Amino acid sequence: MKTNGIVRGLTLAGGLLMGLAAGAQEPGVTDKAIKIGIFGPLSGQNMAYGFDVVNAAKMYYDKINKDGGIHGRKIEYVVEDDRCNANDLVAAVKKLVEQENVFMLNGGSCSAAVVAAKDYIVRNKVPYLMLNASGDGALFPPTDYIFGAFSISQYAVGGAMVEFAAKSLGAKTVAYINHDDAYGAWNLEGSKKDAEVNGVKLVVESVNPTINDVTAPFLKLRAANPDAILLVTYARPAALLIKKAAELGFNKPIILSVTGTASLNQLVGNVGKDALKNFYTQEVMIDSPGGDKLKPIYDMYKAAYPDLAAKPDHPQTYMPYGIPPAMSLVKALQDAGPNPTREKVLAALKTQDFDSGVMAGRLQFGPQQRAANRSTIFIKYDGTTMAPLPGVFTSRWTYEAK
Amino acid sequence: MSSSPLASATSGKRVLSGPAIAGLALAALLAVALPAFTTGYVIYIANLLLVFVVLCLGLHVVIGENGQFSMAHAAFYGIGIYASALANRAVDLPYPFAMLFGALVAGIVGLFIGALALRMRDIYLALATFAFGEAMQWVFANWDSVTNGPNGLRISPARFGPLEILSDKQAYPFVLFFCLLMIGVTVAISRSRLGRSFRAVRESEVAAMAMGIDVRRTRVVAFGLSAAIAGFAGGMFGLFQTFIHPDSLGFQTTILVLTMVVVGGLGSIAGAIGGAIVFGLISEVLRQAPQYQEIIYGGILILFMMYAPRGLFVFIGDRIREVRHGR
Repeated sequence: MKTNGIVRGLTLAGGLLMGLAAGAQEPGVTDKAIKIGIFGPLSGQNMAYGFDVVNAAKMYYDKINKDGGIHGRKIEYVVEDDRCNANDLVAAVKKLVEQENVFMLNGGSCSAAVVAAKDYIVRNKVPYLMLNASGDGALFPPTDYIFGAFSISQYAVGGAMVEFAAKSLGAKTVAYINHDDAYGAWNLEGSKKDAEVNGVKLVVESVNPTINDVTAPFLKLRAANPDAILLVTYARPAALLIKKAAELGFNKPIILSVTGTASLNQLVGNVGKDALKNFYTQEVMIDSPGGDKLKPIYDMYKAAYPDLAAKPDHPQTYMPYGIPPAMSLVKALQDAGPNPTREKVLAALKTQDFDSGVMAGRLQFGPQQRAANRSTIFIKYDGTTMAPLPGVFTSRWTYEAK
Repeated sequence: MSSSPLASATSGKRVLSGPAIAGLALAALLAVALPAFTTGYVIYIANLLLVFVVLCLGLHVVIGENGQFSMAHAAFYGIGIYASALANRAVDLPYPFAMLFGALVAGIVGLFIGALALRMRDIYLALATFAFGEAMQWVFANWDSVTNGPNGLRISPARFGPLEILSDKQAYPFVLFFCLLMIGVTVAISRSRLGRSFRAVRESEVAAMAMGIDVRRTRVVAFGLSAAIAGFAGGMFGLFQTFIHPDSLGFQTTILVLTMVVVGGLGSIAGAIGGAIVFGLISEVLRQAPQYQEIIYGGILILFMMYAPRGLFVFIGDRIREVRHGR
């Protein structure tokens, strides 16, 4: 009996010591707090992509802390400016990991810059959730440590558009205009499966993002007599193509990707209302920016940042994008249990599947899936009124190792 | 008032004072011992600063020594990065040779640009080299089969024999060594007959010609050497960084390097080195104050131009002399 008691006592002490040692090995985790590193463009010309996205993530963590934290621990965040620049982003990440000893990372609004940190993050085995960067270059081929595309994966942008054109507009032949670069190749690759399943014929024309005259590619596409045109481009080629379509009397549906404009008002200014008679735009959120379904997020922002909210240009368009990655991080920490380790958090992330109430579709990761969002809604826009259409359209693209 | 071309051209040698030597020795000791007492983040910044030191030395050769205006430095740097990374990846060239290959390719392109530059001066030369820089950024972003285009290029870890460089601390001794090597090379160029020719051409092409200097050749060589040094800096970048994106090789990088050289002191090697370190550190420190960094950055630049137009080190030297002479 006595021996058993001693053995039990020793086992308990050993267990406690091992537990303490394990806890001590986890950077950024104390009894009272879990330290995370946030980074985004807080200055410079790309600030509009991330400043309020970072603010949204911060306000969500503040709300979680106010509600009691995660398993009794508060979220303590350290924020760094990455200037949307690869060198600065890597500096920010290294500072957060090596100097601030954060448990995990949540940041990045610019896809090109986040890829620069990929090798470092993988080598150091730090769980990393992007903010609003698509970051496909860092997500695929999948690693155990990097999760992102909460806004949408480039691979899914075109596919969701094909789904909409086929199901809502009954299109059978679709003119598909993408860029002649890697992003264009990615979204076309993702669209092929949706076209095949829906029996849609894609007539593809790839243009340079800096194109000045779109007459030739447009005439080529019109000759194919498409039922709809999908513009999977940036703002400049998109505006030129919409204007050209109006000039040449093309009156079939034109569907613009989420990457096609940051401001619909600016688009109207560039192309005129007459060009938008049969026009649809893609949206990755559950509603148009500032719409009723997103009102709680905007109210939360006003309460958290009254001074900023009073300024005319705030909240910035992408502000709500900061909430889903923060939700994902909190959920992963909750699922990791009261003694979180990086391995437990990563395991939780790999099976994550939830509705954020902010983005159009469910946010899902999987054994090979590292891009959270593949769904969008579509909005009919006539230059004045935005009318979200029913239905959520999800790309069928999934990663397949080559 | 102004010195003669010959006098100015031969003014490369300066004797360091005792305190300056002590300061340099202390800085050298600090640089060598840095990894022992600091984090990988600090070492990453140090590595980046050392790369910028070499970039500034390159620009110093063409602007400071030779008096030609170049706005294409980011392009030569980019050529060095891509060429060394691709040489390392494609033919598994040992990394020091890959770096030399990067420098060679950049140097050859620099010679070509230098030859074109013979017909141009001042603002026209600046615009022409700016156009070349922009064109090269377009090439980096669109030559998919070679540069991986807008995806950016993953750089394989550098290898030195059996040693594979996988961290900033591992890379640091090599980056430091190559930086010191390039400082030595630049000093040697500056003190050589070629360096004197550079400065003679800078001061007066007519006087230089009268002294038998081949002005055209000198100008082309200055461009080539400057580009080669920038290309070598690109190779150094690949020692600790595993990814390059064309966005990092635009006009902003050229302006940053130009600012470093001007703030440090145009025409002085110490100025190029000091400008890179001081302005690189300021830029990193200002990352902590994102709301104000553009204003502070601009303010510092204006103050430098107003009160230290000949550069940081000349300004400090003048103040020290004033204190010594009790003024």
